[in-house]
Parts: sequence; structure tokens; C-alpha cells
Amino acid sequence: MNVLTPIAAVPSASFIAPPGPIEQVRYACALGALTSVIAIEGAIPITHCGPGCASKQFHALSGISGYQGGEFHVPSTNIGNKEVIFGGADRLDELIASTLKIMEAELYVVQSGCIPGLVGDDVDNVVRSYQRRGVPIVFAETLGYRGNNFTGHETVVKAILEQYVAKQPAAPKRAGLVNVWSLLPYQNPFWRGDLTEIRRLLEGIGLEVNILFGPASAGLAEWRAVPSAEFNLVLSPWLGLSTARDLEAAYGQPTLHIPALPVGARQTAAFLRAVGDHAGIARSKVDTFVAAEERTYYRYLRDFAHFYSGCTSQYRLPSEVNVVADSAYALAVSKFLVGDLGLNPGVIVVTENPPDSERDGIVAAFRDLAPGIDGEPLFETDGHRAHAVIRAHDRIGELPIVFGSTWEANIAAEIGAPLVEVSYPVTDEVVLNRAYVGYRGALQLIERTYTTVVRQSTEENPEAAAS
Amino acid sequence: MSRKPKQIAIYGKGGIGKSTTTSNISAALAEAGYKVMQFGCDPKADSTTTLRGGEYIPSVLDLLAEKRRVDAREAVFKGFAGIYCVEAGGPAPGVGCAGRGIITAVELLKQQRVFEDLDLDFVIYDVLGDVVCGGFAVPVREGIAEHVFTVSSADFMAIYAANNLFRGIEKFSNSGGALLGGIIANSINTDFQREIIEDFAAKTSTPIVQFVPRSLTVTQAELSGKTTIEAAPQSEQADVYRALARHIAGHEQSKVPTPLSQTELRDWSASWAEHIVQMERAERARAVA
Repeated sequence: MNVLTPIAAVPSASFIAPPGPIEQVRYACALGALTSVIAIEGAIPITHCGPGCASKQFHALSGISGYQGGEFHVPSTNIGNKEVIFGGADRLDELIASTLKIMEAELYVVQSGCIPGLVGDDVDNVVRSYQRRGVPIVFAETLGYRGNNFTGHETVVKAILEQYVAKQPAAPKRAGLVNVWSLLPYQNPFWRGDLTEIRRLLEGIGLEVNILFGPASAGLAEWRAVPSAEFNLVLSPWLGLSTARDLEAAYGQPTLHIPALPVGARQTAAFLRAVGDHAGIARSKVDTFVAAEERTYYRYLRDFAHFYSGCTSQYRLPSEVNVVADSAYALAVSKFLVGDLGLNPGVIVVTENPPDSERDGIVAAFRDLAPGIDGEPLFETDGHRAHAVIRAHDRIGELPIVFGSTWEANIAAEIGAPLVEVSYPVTDEVVLNRAYVGYRGALQLIERTYTTVVRQSTEENPEAAAS
Repeated sequence: MSRKPKQIAIYGKGGIGKSTTTSNISAALAEAGYKVMQFGCDPKADSTTTLRGGEYIPSVLDLLAEKRRVDAREAVFKGFAGIYCVEAGGPAPGVGCAGRGIITAVELLKQQRVFEDLDLDFVIYDVLGDVVCGGFAVPVREGIAEHVFTVSSADFMAIYAANNLFRGIEKFSNSGGALLGGIIANSINTDFQREIIEDFAAKTSTPIVQFVPRSLTVTQAELSGKTTIEAAPQSEQADVYRALARHIAGHEQSKVPTPLSQTELRDWSASWAEHIVQMERAERARAVA
């Protein structure tokens, strides 16, 4: 056994619900983190909540997020009035016993929703009794009113690490093995492709990677190897930081925090060099991989330049980037569009209601999008208010483009901007393995961006486009 | 056409003599010829035992625990002088949500029109005292009970509970909730106890509807599983309960209570505590002399 830690399901960063109602919601509740469990091959969630909670959270996060789909076979207690009055712990016990009989999994993650939290069901005790019998099962207290799917994700991850991973036989550290804590599965429509690209990049410089979620991951085998990693890479503005802190305390693993997901050659090279230096990989090895990648990347970019520099009169190429997304993509997209493609930063709205303790760090990450040009992120969960800011923004002489969710369709049309859907909810894109990060992702982001620009120009002005 | 019964809720701190008082009121009303239902709203489900010869009855929630669809009439039992006895019941201590249980039990009887069908004159709710959550406030809100009485002794904790209840009633008073009828001052045997409770009543402009002395007759009756009205109908104490029942039967005008704030209550009890200490000192000085 590696460490002995108590069941503690409270996210380290505190969540504060936004005051008042939200128009156009952009995240789910903490129970929605059942998608994080579904994203781990070999794990299944068991939900202890009211009827409809689990399926609504899943369909909200997988359906209207690029129609991702996924394996939704989730046993649920579907508790009602009777369990509210008399307590639902017995019902959960019965459900777990039945699940073990008919559903095979390497790991079961029990998630409780609002009702057991309010009524005070002793879920801990029910789950412990199975743990004592050697069942690979953990408990994550993802009470809907206690957080959103971001903090719920941290709760689930913490539960798996403390109640499952920590109980695996101790294994020695493996040089060059890294745990990656990055995009929130399902919330970001491109997480599958992006994590695949991140894995490819890190392996490219000689690292061994626990990517942990999605099709590019080896599933629970990777999770069991988490304590063996040399270090943790937190590749997001804040999500995953609390996990990395816990792992640092439990296994002495250092943390490398890189807030911005790298998009394009400039940032990806800097990213790989930073990771390489941290991991003690020879610069020459990193440079060899970077050079090979850049050779391909810049050929495409060279050819794209014909379009980018030559068609400004024909198509209305945007000059100002506006973003409405959660912090990870808001930062990644702004950095690439401003730093690499040379657009000016417009309104940047961060939508996921990050914990107060993390906000200064997020603001800092938006400095120097391009040398000397800062982005000023606005923390706003409400669509109406976000759009009001975009509407009121002074953009004389600028042609705006919006990177956002489907909710931004109207405001984009209103300011005459093409809309590229990159953030939750996404209903006008079907996403499979498309990625927007790294070398390959950047090229796809350029394709999608300028296809949208060209189409919009063509629709608005068919004659000019044909001439 | 069925009449609308007069619905009364009686609250008070646990152990203050609330069920004893309520059962005696029910018994006195039934004795006077009224059709009465006593509805125990406490997970312990022991409000009506002295109306049933010391016997416990299955609660509404016991039925609900057995089956999803419940005929609420199955939870109505006849007791002394034809009183309809109902217990809401609740979960085992430490699990579930007792408040939600009370809400469910009251709703069930209301939905199934049990009150109307039994053609009652009075429904008396005997409710656990501290109004700790929304469930225990249910007889006060939503137009269930019209008048609320609180049983309180001169004990400070009982008065705190009464003041909390006043705050609950005040909260619901402008949305069609029940209003305060008054205080039933229980276990008041000394002038001093009387002074304390009268002072609290004056500070909150609340009428005291009856002083009920502590009495061995009540204890004896309880031990034999009966109300005082049934066990000792000729006793002085039985007449006290009859007077109380008459008052409640004739009570028409309740009002919005004016509770003390937390600080006012604290200051008020501190001033009385000071007073008690001085009096005891004087007493001791006299004894020494």
C-alpha cells in the first residue's frame, strides 16, 4: 500500500454558486462528473440520486457538446419520497450488490447527488463495507449543490486516487513517466482529440505518459501507475492543480504547471522545451522532435499564407478575436489567435465560474498573449451579461470573430462576426477526434476558423466571392 | 356538505408536557361532544398513546414504508370517547428526513380528504417543538392549522423554543399561514415561575390562555396509559384541562406574534438569571440568620 488517506471528497478549491439565476448555462452540476468516470476505460459510475439526475447530466454533457455520445450504462438508485423520509442507504447497498452481480468493471465509482446530501445518508459507510470485502469501489460525494462539473471532477479524481490508486501495491518510480491533468472530459468537445495530441507530443520528446482519460489512454492501468510517475503536469489554468498538490504530498511528485494548452508551433515548441527541461531530457532530443514537427507544420502554414495574405479584399478576414469559453480554451485560443495569427484581443469571457482562489492565476496567464499585449479575461457565467459586454465593446476599424458556444450565435450575427464553436454547449458541430492543440490541432483550428470566415463572406456577398 | 373542521396546532419543546396537554384537550373536547382528531407530528409517534390505553398505533409513515400507495384511513384509529388518533411517524433516529416525513403524512391525509370525510369539529396537531426545519413548520403554513398554541414552562429553554416558534409563525403570517393563539403555561406551581412566563408573554404581547399546574394526578394517569380526563374525571386538574379546552373551542381571534430578537431574548433571560441569583442569596442569608 502506498499511502493511507481518509475518504475526503471535498474539493480543495471552494466553489461558490453564482448569485441569482443564470441565463444560458455553460456547465453542469457536480454529479455531471460521472462523465469523467465514463471517460476512464474500465470504470463505471453508480449514482445515488433522484430519477433523471444521472441521465440528464450525461446527455447534457455528451449530447450538446459536439454529440460525443459514449457508454452510458449507469446504475442509479433513483430515490424518491420514501428514501428521502427513511434514508436511502439501504437502497444504495442493494443497488451496489446487484451491480456487482451483473456489471463487470475494474472500478466502480459511487457518486451521490443532492438528495442523499440533504438527507444525510451515510454513503461512506455503505461503500466502505464493500471496500473491506476487497471490491474495487470508491465514493465521490458529488452533491449537485456543492459544485459544478469542474469541482465534481476534482472530487471524483481525488476519490479514485485516495481510495483506489493508493491501495495498489507500492511500485518504484519510473523515470520519464508523467501524469497529465488537463482538459475536462466531455465539457470540452475536443478533449479526446486534444488529449491524443498531447500524448503524442510528450511521447515525441521521449516521455512515457499517463493521459488518464479518453481513447488515447490505457484506462485504469494508467491510473494504477500514477504514483510511479516522476512528476505531474498540470496543463490547464487551474483544473488539476489541487490534484497535483495532493499527489505532491502523497508521493513527493513535483508539479509542473503550464496554464496554456499549446496551440501552434511557437507555443508547442516552448511547451515541449519547458516539459523537457523539467524532466531532464536533453535539449537536443527535444529539438530534434520539434524540428521534425515544425518542418511539416510550417509547410502547411507557408501554403496557408497565400490565402491569409492574399485574399483580404475578397473575404472579410477578422482582425479582432472575442472568446466566450471556459478558461482552458479561452486562454489557448486567445494565445494562438493573438500571438500567432496577429489578431487583436477583444472581449474574453471566462465562463466556468472558477474558484476565487484560482482567479488571480487565470488573469496572470492572459498577460502577454503576444509580447506586450495582454488579454483581460472577464469572469462571467451569465450569457446575457457576457453578450452585453461584447455588444458594448468599441471595435471601430475592427472585423470581429467570435470563438464561443452555440449560445453565441445571435451576438455573433449581431456584431457581424463569424462564430467558431469551441466551448460548451456545442450543437452545430459533430466532433469525433478533432483536436485544436499542438501542431496538428493548430492546423485544424486554422482550417475550421477560415472555412467559417470564407463561408460567412460568401453567404453575405456571393458575387464578390465568385469574382 | 362537510364542514371545515377547526384546525389547531400545539407546539412546544420536547418533554415539556405537550402531548399530555394536547391529549387532555382532545379528551375534554370529545367529552363535551365534539368530533376530534389528534394528529401526532413527531417521529417518536407517541402523541396519542394516552388516548389509546397506553397502546402505540402504526403511523402513516409505517404504512408508507411498507407500500408505495397508502390509504391514509388505515392510519386512523379510534381512541378514548371516539377521538380519531393519527401518528405521522418518521424514520429511525439518525437517518432520513423527519421533516419531509411530517410533510408527507399531513399531505396524504389532506389529499385523501380524510378530515372532511370524518366530518370533524377539531383537528389538533401535536408538533415537535423546535421548528428545526421546514417540515416541522408544515402545520403552520399552507392553510392547514389556523391557530397555534405553544406549551411552555418557565424554563428558559422552553421559552427559547416558544420564541423560535413565534418567529416561524411570523414568517408565514403574511402568506396565509396560521396565527398565534397564545401560550399554555405548563407546570407552573410557584409565583416566581408565573412571573417569568407572564413577563415573557407581556414582552411578546402574547396572551396566556391557561396556567396548568404540575400535578401528581397527571403522572398517575399517564402511568396507567390514560389522560387525566379519563383516569381522574373528578379531579381539579381535569377541570383545568376542561377550562383550557373550552377556551380553545371558543378561540376565534389569533394574531401575528411579535417575537424577541436573539439579543433581546438573551438580555431578557440574563436579567432574570441575575434576579434569581439575588433571590437565592437573600434566601440563604435568611436561613443562616
